[in-house]
Amino acid sequence: MHLRALLLAAAAGVAVSNAHGAADPGKPQEPRMEFAPPAAGSYELQRIQPAPDATLLNADARRQRLSDLTHGKITLLTFFYTYCVDPWGCPYAYWTLSGLRDRLIADPQLARGVRFVSVSFDPTNDTPEALRRYGARFMDDPRLEWQFLTAPSVDHLLPLLDGFGQDVRVERNADGKPTRTLNHMLKMFLIDPHGMIREIYSLAYLQQPVMLNDMRTLALENRSTAARSR
Amino acid sequence: MNIRATVLGAALLICGASLADETCNSPYMTGLIKGQEEFLHVLTLGIDGVGDGSDKLVTIDVNPKSASYGKPVHSVSVGGRGETHHMGFTDDRKHLWAGSLDSNQIYVFDVGTDPSKPRLVKTITDLGARTGYLGPHTFYALPGRMLIGNISNLAAKDGVTGMALYNNQGNFVAKFPMPVGSLGGGVGDGYGYDLAINPARNAILTSSFTGWNNYMRDLGEVVGDPAAMKKFGNTMVMWDLKAMQPRRVFEVPGAPLEIRWSLREGDNWAITATALTSKLWLIRQDKAGEWQAKEVATIGDPAKIPLPVDISISADAKGLWVNTFMDGTTRYFDLSDPERPVQTYAKQTGKQVNMVSQSWDGKRVYITSSLLAKWDKKGADDEQFLRAFNWDGKELKLAFETDFRAAKLGRPHHMKFTARPAPAASTAAR
Repeated sequence: MHLRALLLAAAAGVAVSNAHGAADPGKPQEPRMEFAPPAAGSYELQRIQPAPDATLLNADARRQRLSDLTHGKITLLTFFYTYCVDPWGCPYAYWTLSGLRDRLIADPQLARGVRFVSVSFDPTNDTPEALRRYGARFMDDPRLEWQFLTAPSVDHLLPLLDGFGQDVRVERNADGKPTRTLNHMLKMFLIDPHGMIREIYSLAYLQQPVMLNDMRTLALENRSTAARSR
Repeated sequence: MNIRATVLGAALLICGASLADETCNSPYMTGLIKGQEEFLHVLTLGIDGVGDGSDKLVTIDVNPKSASYGKPVHSVSVGGRGETHHMGFTDDRKHLWAGSLDSNQIYVFDVGTDPSKPRLVKTITDLGARTGYLGPHTFYALPGRMLIGNISNLAAKDGVTGMALYNNQGNFVAKFPMPVGSLGGGVGDGYGYDLAINPARNAILTSSFTGWNNYMRDLGEVVGDPAAMKKFGNTMVMWDLKAMQPRRVFEVPGAPLEIRWSLREGDNWAITATALTSKLWLIRQDKAGEWQAKEVATIGDPAKIPLPVDISISADAKGLWVNTFMDGTTRYFDLSDPERPVQTYAKQTGKQVNMVSQSWDGKRVYITSSLLAKWDKKGADDEQFLRAFNWDGKELKLAFETDFRAAKLGRPHHMKFTARPAPAASTAAR
């Protein structure tokens, strides 16, 4: 069965998505970090690839070009689904992003130039209304921009996942039927204000002090580029 | 199914994600195999007049419950002979990248769609044009990209080289020359070979071998040429992973080859073997946090040049398999104290042996025979095989063997494991 059909079948098995945000699997462990991170601005992040584009829906059910949200600010983008309970998947991402959000809010100048973007794996159940229920407390907080997006359909989503290199696999049960679990390798994509992916974090690399330094490094680079062009 | 059962079910599938199956891989990938591997993929050098004569990726069924256990079930040729040597998974384990030391091509195989039938889906041909490097050797997964350790260069074809970074789409991103000159207490020779990453320490460790002029020349001629014998690497380098900058050069004489980090939490060391001097070297942080390199053990009789080629560390970092090519011997070292490795077992497993890979649980050990087309032995000693052994902690017992020459498959070299996705562990609770 194709990934498209599997995603649709998995989604059909979900009667009601959680309306209260991610389930709490207990306190996740931070990845091991037994070093002092290099100072912000003392290194350059590689230009890995341009961020792919797509037309998605925001939490107000309006069409949203993703490229409008991967330009102009430093963007941290991740894929999720609202009813994901894999402790090393979305809840871990939620926990990491919440921690980073707190660190950013403590640095308002940096926070003004940063946005978080969370894109759902499940267009069927994660409707704009479900996104609003899930993320209202973050998307309505002016201290840090946090956008929640979903695709109009699985057909719109798959090229975007492919473009980012974000794997997803619908778990099957012993009878070979799709379950409601979407196994995926948790990744976060750090995108510079020009739409270029400059860092990708998977589990072992979700070290919040390093991620914050990477954002500061991009902010310094952006400031320096702007100064040179004046 | 309640939330708790769901969480437990998901945890069974994924919570080991910071560990790995083959202990020589980038240990930070997805889709890990801690149980029984199903397929062994063997990268094979073509032999003129044997089969189609092309380098290829051969898939062996290694599931003991399968009717085709121990048999080649698939092979895919790369369309030529170019000394295809090593390979590595992408971070999502969907693709295997393999490099040819002579043709300088990089082949990308899809092993995610159906691991029993890998497909060649892309050939990357711009490594030389982009970097000037020759001989893509080590493929080490980073999130969304592949860091490639090379071993030579196109201009002089000696051992001066560097690393290249490509994104997972196969597009070039950046290059990083190996350091030359004084750095951090040592003197860089610019040579390269293996690389291994420790994210918890923000560290990349690299080793050094020799250039195309030597590895594409008959081994007997190289050994008999004093000038050629001076063209081997004698260094390792510790890099800052985030900054991608070399920080410290260690003088490790005699071509330090494969590098294995201890994956045990809290450990701060890696180990390597030197090919020409036949030693184990430990690279470890001292009490001040500075990285240091020291010789910690001798492998066989260095005067006889047994030529240690590959090593495989156990998942708990308490043991190390070492293959020595010239005497065809597989040795086991107790690494309980990495400062003092002790050889506790040795067995001749072939007339020539090269790569050694163990399963995550340490119960199965796979060995292949080929080193390099021009360095393999001649005549009857030029056995070309895959041998699989069961290891009970005391004795290697042959489980099966495949004669690659008789099967017209070529010279077997590097190995990787795959398995089909397991069904949900907690289906009954749903």
